[in-house]
Amino acid sequence: MPRLTIDGRPVEVKEGATILEAAGLLGITIPRFCHHPALPPAGSCRMCVVEIEGSPKLATSCSTPAAEGMKVSTSSPAVKAARRDVLEFLLLNHPLDCPICDQAGECSLQDYYMEHSCAKSRFPAELKEPRQKRRLIGPHLVLDNERCVLCTRCVRFCDEVTRTSELFVSGRSDASFIDIREGKALDNGYSLNLADICPVGALTSREFRFRQRAWFLEKTPVTCLGCATGCRAEAHHAGGEIYRMVPAPGAENAWLCDRGRLTYRPLRAGDRLKKGFIKNGYIDLEPAVREAAARLAGEPGAAVLGSPWLSVEDNAALAALARALGTGNYCFSFTAESGIKDGILVNKDPAPNTAGAAEAAPTGGLDLGELNRRIAAGEIKALITEARAAAFIKGRLPDGFKLIVFATNRSEIPAGAYATLPYASYFETPGTFVNYQGRRGVTGPVVPPPEGVPPLAETAAALAAALKGDGA
Amino acid sequence: MNERTLLRDNVADIAAYFAAGGWRPLKKALSMGRAAVIAEVTASGLRGRGGAGFPTGRKWSFVPQDAQGPRYLVCNADEGEPGAFKDRELLRRNPQAVLEGMAIAGYAIGASLGYIYIRGEFSAEAEFLTAAITAARAKGFLGANILGSGFDFDIHLHRGAGAYICGEETALLSSIEGLRGQPRLKPPFPAVKGLFGAPTVVNNAETLAAVPSILERGAAWYASTGSPDSPGTKLFCVSGAVNRPGVYELPLGVPFRELLETHCGGMKDGRKLKAVLPGGASSPALTAAEAMAVNMDYASLAAAGSMLGSGAVIVIEEGRCMVELLGVLARFYRHESCGQCAPCREGCAWADKLLAGLEAGRGRPSDVETLRSCAAAMTGRTICPLADSLALPALSFISKFRAEFDAHAAGRTCRAAGGGRLA
Ligand SMILES: Cc1cc2nc3c(=O)[nH]c(=O)nc-3n(C[C@H](O)[C@H](O)[C@H](O)COP(=O)(O)O)c2cc1C
Ligand code: SF4
Ligand code: SF4
Repeated sequence: MPRLTIDGRPVEVKEGATILEAAGLLGITIPRFCHHPALPPAGSCRMCVVEIEGSPKLATSCSTPAAEGMKVSTSSPAVKAARRDVLEFLLLNHPLDCPICDQAGECSLQDYYMEHSCAKSRFPAELKEPRQKRRLIGPHLVLDNERCVLCTRCVRFCDEVTRTSELFVSGRSDASFIDIREGKALDNGYSLNLADICPVGALTSREFRFRQRAWFLEKTPVTCLGCATGCRAEAHHAGGEIYRMVPAPGAENAWLCDRGRLTYRPLRAGDRLKKGFIKNGYIDLEPAVREAAARLAGEPGAAVLGSPWLSVEDNAALAALARALGTGNYCFSFTAESGIKDGILVNKDPAPNTAGAAEAAPTGGLDLGELNRRIAAGEIKALITEARAAAFIKGRLPDGFKLIVFATNRSEIPAGAYATLPYASYFETPGTFVNYQGRRGVTGPVVPPPEGVPPLAETAAALAAALKGDGA
Repeated sequence: MNERTLLRDNVADIAAYFAAGGWRPLKKALSMGRAAVIAEVTASGLRGRGGAGFPTGRKWSFVPQDAQGPRYLVCNADEGEPGAFKDRELLRRNPQAVLEGMAIAGYAIGASLGYIYIRGEFSAEAEFLTAAITAARAKGFLGANILGSGFDFDIHLHRGAGAYICGEETALLSSIEGLRGQPRLKPPFPAVKGLFGAPTVVNNAETLAAVPSILERGAAWYASTGSPDSPGTKLFCVSGAVNRPGVYELPLGVPFRELLETHCGGMKDGRKLKAVLPGGASSPALTAAEAMAVNMDYASLAAAGSMLGSGAVIVIEEGRCMVELLGVLARFYRHESCGQCAPCREGCAWADKLLAGLEAGRGRPSDVETLRSCAAAMTGRTICPLADSLALPALSFISKFRAEFDAHAAGRTCRAAGGGRLA
């Protein structure tokens, strides 16, 4: 456990920790471009240099291990001069197009220039090297080589994290540029992470570009519900609209997959359900609830199927509905193979709450096999569930079967659904989820739901009340 | 002693080399044991001839003794620095000494495979070397169970593809591995994690060629030549305005004056000496007066503010424009920078653009100071010393020949008339 001092303050670190990490423990943030905590060091931008007493050269703090007795300065005149020099070098060929750059406000180059340099340019604009701007390199990303500082974070990410190696540095010297291998598109399931880790506006997200300025965004922690891994994420939003999702700062998941990142998109999609939907037509929520209650009460053997896509609370509300129906035909136990399937984050279990759904009905009820048997045998003629969970019902529904589902978007509605009830997503209402390792996380709300769309639990309670009303 | 042990005459052929006592040092080494071989080379004081002058025996001793798995020995014959042409000469005239040195070094570090990384442009030498390897193999000096000792050692020839940076030892290793040729962050040093992740020693061809005679005649004999901190002989390749440019094997510590006047026959056509780059295109310049007072060894050249480098001695005559000359260097280093370090990638290019402007009469008075500060900002700030290779000469040129730079910047003319290109 080496002990050292940084800017005169003592700190003890784990064996092998770098000076940059040691400084971090003291709350000293050393500026850096190429360093990223989840990527192997490159040591090439030279922005993170520090002065070590007794050492003639400045050292890169990102790659130099902290050692016993070291005396490090992160702010000596030599260090400050070196940072100014690196910034001057990086800006030589930079287009200085900050007013039209989507990274403005969260750009390391811009921020460091203000903090560490503010020097006037000594380089004539006409000598700048021209480079390619606005190159589409995949379904989610745009590359602007003029703004690139060649930190190679993107290259190392594709080499080390996704191991797909689409990107590489082409050419050499000041003719170097980031290029994509011929015939490849940057579409590896994690490509949007590059928009986050690119320290400048060279790689930007097509989903986010020019839709919102960074400084207007509010940040709310959420759990990603894209699969059973349940990554900790942060939703960035403004004016009631979500603009992007990024990994939560300090989360053990340094990344988010592209699918998870885009889970907010259905919220504002054109097919978002704001009313009930029966057969082929929209209908206000209240009559829809009455109709659904009537069907559930009217058909023999009405059943309730929980959903691993719904929160613990909403599953509990469905369980309460089952009790109100007085039926033993309910199922909240789902089994799914789980575990990280791609070696990075994506889970074999695509549902976020397989573990948590079971909490709604710890005892009694049916398993999925028995539920399916009773449906096929005609013993169950109506069932209420969540849209994606309806896929657990196997085979064709018997004629006259009344399938009632909760859905957020019309595209989710399964074939054969009789009635659909809208509900507020977990970006719009809080929910508890239990990931594949048993970790509980509460998520949302980030933005308000569409007007008139209540949380699922509220509608389920209204259904239960309507049933009691019928019974009374 | 003024004996040549590297550039010997008539030993290019394996039979002649053997007749002159060749390949016996390997046999001796095999009977001594690894540790004794390393101790002998350490005691000889042999230092790396590739540029950095690192003590060779010590470098070998860094290979972990207990490491499992393969180790590699690499002979660096990439020789790409402007003004350097000594390894090529050595490979032509004494290839077996390089191969034998490799086998001895391989034995010392426990490697059973060696690579020669030869500059891509040296195609005739590559063919010649291939034949030399085949001949040594045929005689049982390379291959399995060499001389019945149980030691296996073979050599692959790997041809470069034209990048100067691949002469830097870690870039060279990446290049052999088929990766982009760019220097790696150190540590880990190659002795611990080198080629294909295995412990590796990289030595210059000249360094390795010196090894057989050290084994043959002993460390004390070797150390009796040269100067105390720089034992042995060195290949000096002299270019520029001298009467007899070429490669000279001379004891380290030879006075520059002697090298110039006795060996190279003095300045060409009675021209006057202006400056010297005593250690190749990457070494700081010495003025004529400084050069005439210096001895050609590691310590003396360092004390004079320059370095021995690879032993490429570039002689510059009066009338040669230092701005133009520095422009040639900048163009070269800009072209050859691998581009990963911000100060090197951007700095070499900036220096090149500034110098091109000054040369073309487009300069501004502030350009000289801009150039100086650019060079200062590159010095000691990068992964490998390529940036220093431009920055240090640049700083020396500007401080020692400032008037020429200022004249270009202000008067827009070249005071040092004559022009022409760096030979
Ligand atoms: C840019 C650059 C180019 C180099 N080119 C060569 C070269 O062509 N040949 C060589 O032997 N060493 C070259 N070196 C030095 C090698 O990195 C290394 O120090 C050397 O091969 C070690 O061998 P030695 O210990 O026998 O000198 C170069 C270094 C740098 C930084
Ligand atoms: S595109 Fe961005 S992440 Fe990639 S090298 Fe350039 S600046 Fe770095
Ligand atoms: S100093 Fe130049 S050549 Fe050496 S690693 Fe850095 S960029 Fe590459």
